[in-house]
Amino acid sequence: MLVVGAGLAGMRAAIEAFDAGADVAMISKIHPTRSHSGAAEGGINAALGNASEDNPEIHAFDTVKGSDYLGDQDAIEILCHDAPADVYQLENWGAVFSRTEDGRIAQRPFGAAGAPRTAYAADITGHVLIQVLWEQICKRDIPTYEEYFAWQLVENDGRCQGVVCWDLLDGGLKTIGAKTVILATGGAGRLYTGTTNAYSCTGDGMAMALRAGLPLKDMEMMQFHPTTLAPTGVLITEGCRGEGAYLLNKDGERFLKRYAPNTMELASRDVISRAEQMEIDAGRGVDGNVLLDLRHLGAERIIERLPGSRELAMTFLGVDPIYDPIPVRPGAHYHMGGVATDVWGQTELTGLYAAGECACVSVHGANRLGGNALMETITYGKRSGAHAAEWALSHTTVEVPDSAERDAERELTALLERQDGERPWAIRDELASTMHENFGVFRREHQMEEQGAIVAGLHDRYERALVEDKGEVFNSDLTGTIELGFLLDLAECMVVAGIERKESRGAHARPDDYPVRDDENYLKHTIVHWVDGSPKLSWEPVRMTKWQPQERKY
Amino acid sequence: MKVALKIWRYDSATGDRALKEYEIEAPEWATLLDCLDIVKDQHDGSLAYRKSCRMMICGSCGMRMDGAAVLACKTRMYDIAQSGHVPVVSAMGNLPIRKDLVVDMEPFWAKFNAMKPWLQPGYERPEDGREYRVSQQRMNVIHKESLCINCGCCVSECNAMESDPEFLGPQALAKGMRFVGDPRDGAMIERLEQYNSEHGIWDCTRCFFCNERCPKGVDPRDAIAKLGAESVAQGIDRDMGAKHAKWFVKSAETTGWLRETELVPKTQGVVEALRQTKFALSLAKHGKVPPPFPPHVARDVNEARNLRKLVREQDRQGALGHVQGEHALAKLDHGHAGESLEEIYERPGAAPRPWLPEVEEEPSA
Repeated sequence: MLVVGAGLAGMRAAIEAFDAGADVAMISKIHPTRSHSGAAEGGINAALGNASEDNPEIHAFDTVKGSDYLGDQDAIEILCHDAPADVYQLENWGAVFSRTEDGRIAQRPFGAAGAPRTAYAADITGHVLIQVLWEQICKRDIPTYEEYFAWQLVENDGRCQGVVCWDLLDGGLKTIGAKTVILATGGAGRLYTGTTNAYSCTGDGMAMALRAGLPLKDMEMMQFHPTTLAPTGVLITEGCRGEGAYLLNKDGERFLKRYAPNTMELASRDVISRAEQMEIDAGRGVDGNVLLDLRHLGAERIIERLPGSRELAMTFLGVDPIYDPIPVRPGAHYHMGGVATDVWGQTELTGLYAAGECACVSVHGANRLGGNALMETITYGKRSGAHAAEWALSHTTVEVPDSAERDAERELTALLERQDGERPWAIRDELASTMHENFGVFRREHQMEEQGAIVAGLHDRYERALVEDKGEVFNSDLTGTIELGFLLDLAECMVVAGIERKESRGAHARPDDYPVRDDENYLKHTIVHWVDGSPKLSWEPVRMTKWQPQERKY
Repeated sequence: MKVALKIWRYDSATGDRALKEYEIEAPEWATLLDCLDIVKDQHDGSLAYRKSCRMMICGSCGMRMDGAAVLACKTRMYDIAQSGHVPVVSAMGNLPIRKDLVVDMEPFWAKFNAMKPWLQPGYERPEDGREYRVSQQRMNVIHKESLCINCGCCVSECNAMESDPEFLGPQALAKGMRFVGDPRDGAMIERLEQYNSEHGIWDCTRCFFCNERCPKGVDPRDAIAKLGAESVAQGIDRDMGAKHAKWFVKSAETTGWLRETELVPKTQGVVEALRQTKFALSLAKHGKVPPPFPPHVARDVNEARNLRKLVREQDRQGALGHVQGEHALAKLDHGHAGESLEEIYERPGAAPRPWLPEVEEEPSA
């Protein structure tokens, strides 16, 4: 079996599959420790109860409420109940967590959480976890094809049976057959100019699945993180607010008192991002930002608990948070939507699984809680690895038709033989800036319509884009161009779903025409299929277990 | 702003190498990585370099600027561009170049793997099936080592590796310390034995370039020193390097000086030392060797002895004997003078003080 993508979800899946006895390999377009899971800062949520009393039930309710009731409750319950054991396992493998006075894993408060539930390692939790999983991969000697760029899924006999890749370092198409394939390719934050996401986050797995005829779920749900740095969107962790930082407008007012009087800076991300945007739009910002004030935390606490955030602020802005507030604003951060799966990571196509940000189980619904993404990568990485291994071990054949690689070869040749045309970067930058403008924190009907037309125009231009590098070795010009094609497809899906969701829920806020949640008509998931070269929308009910929708206030 | 760059281009297919100059228009906040992106997008699509997170955590974009390793995403270009300097950008050292700024990382990861870089739990497991109970203080011992992002900047600059490509090197050894210093790991002795063999810790030339160039404050040289101290403390001292280090301590403790005459036999053994008699006599003839008898004792030798006593009394043996993190702490302490919050709020040009508004109406979001 094959795992595509080697961030936290991919590596966790590979480990589980290996331990179940499956013959598993990973491919990744970058070295596994370079994956963007490593950039996660604040922590991972599990009801360990190390800082105060807590239990998985409360965690589940917080997550359901945080999702604005769009999360599938069976999936959420599984996550919250598996979480503690999964975190202990990471610790037992050697993860360097921060510690409490009595030597247990330390936990800090995070947004919209009923207890200090976020286990952390200073503010480099993702880095620490990616190291520990890579260590476990090395221990098991699981084959890893690094700098292999996955391009197309191989579908044969009604099953997914492999992946066609481009070997980035040495060049050439390579086809890898597998009984089961797990997509763990992460998010698509590169759709936006201001994003916390790495250059690698181009939604490859989502787009490959979409093109293979699979449904994407809740694609309009793109989370904006409230504290990112201008101009490019580098992330400053929610851990800052967890440790007690304030958000101020230009007058020094803790403006959240007017938006979320009870939880203030620890309201959920969608609420805070909207509040910030409203302050900025009302002229109470500072050059398009609000201020994240850590001064009262004191130097010692900042240095001990938030050294990475300080380093980022000092390097990119020249601001030392001990003395000055950090200017921050909302930036695209996390795709709640993705490839639709069941609670074992299975997609509609036999043999194909998805886990982590590229999947939509859906644990996060319309808004993800900080600290739940890392937990999802571990728990659902584990579950999909287990299920895919079981399937692979109980079925015998893999058959990859030659036509799979031949078709890819033809496409590749056409792309490389084009001798003139537009360079893709202008299309890429225009896509990102218009998505930010027209499909950002607030969404308006006419802007979404306009964005649909813009993306269609960019798609046309993309058909004539020029890959300048014709070489074999490390041709990132080629892979970058293919990535742009992925992003354009996903943007179309998002816009279509966004227009049709005529309500405000979680990350999808329509202040002008549909300012409130409409459970009567829209307590359901958007589902997008790719049919004859364009997205087709349908709906699917939310899986509910024990929580009925309530008014959501923080 | 205008930025000029010279980039060493390399094509492994043809073996062609050329230094090419580019002039670009970049925003004032641009980093070296942003500038490379502009070159690739708008000037030459065939330029090859690695990148991903652009926030100093993924470790992809290690390369050399003006002959020293940097993370491209951490290197702001404003001052360089304003000074009119045209930096030369090239691939990292000590690793084979594949194309332009892309090196083959295979030898790097092979050394990483040689460290058995995974926790090897000892007999003691958490009884309650939960986490190991470890104090923060105890975990702080490996704090810096656990910051490593495997970017390769230290390896690029390693002098010892330049002369001995098989030297395990700063990155791998820092990873080794990450486990040796972890109280949950049960394979400390086995690990130390391995790092004490050929191409191991004692081959480091102590040039400190790895500490200097590490973009994350890992200080690999300090990690190597800690491994050395821990080896000696555990009685793993057969290597000449270990004997050499031990004699330094002994010599300083007893006389306050380094007794060089005895250093050679203590380090290399009597037989090997006798072979070098001729060389020693020649040194003596030229007045380079103080007479060994009677032992020359420094006037303030008690200071040296008391220092040693203090360390013993504090029970700071092995790795714990090293003061943690001068380098990283110096970076962190930069510009911080321990002012009170009141003083910070009152600084000229300070941002306004935080205040809470009175709220009567219903919340609106």
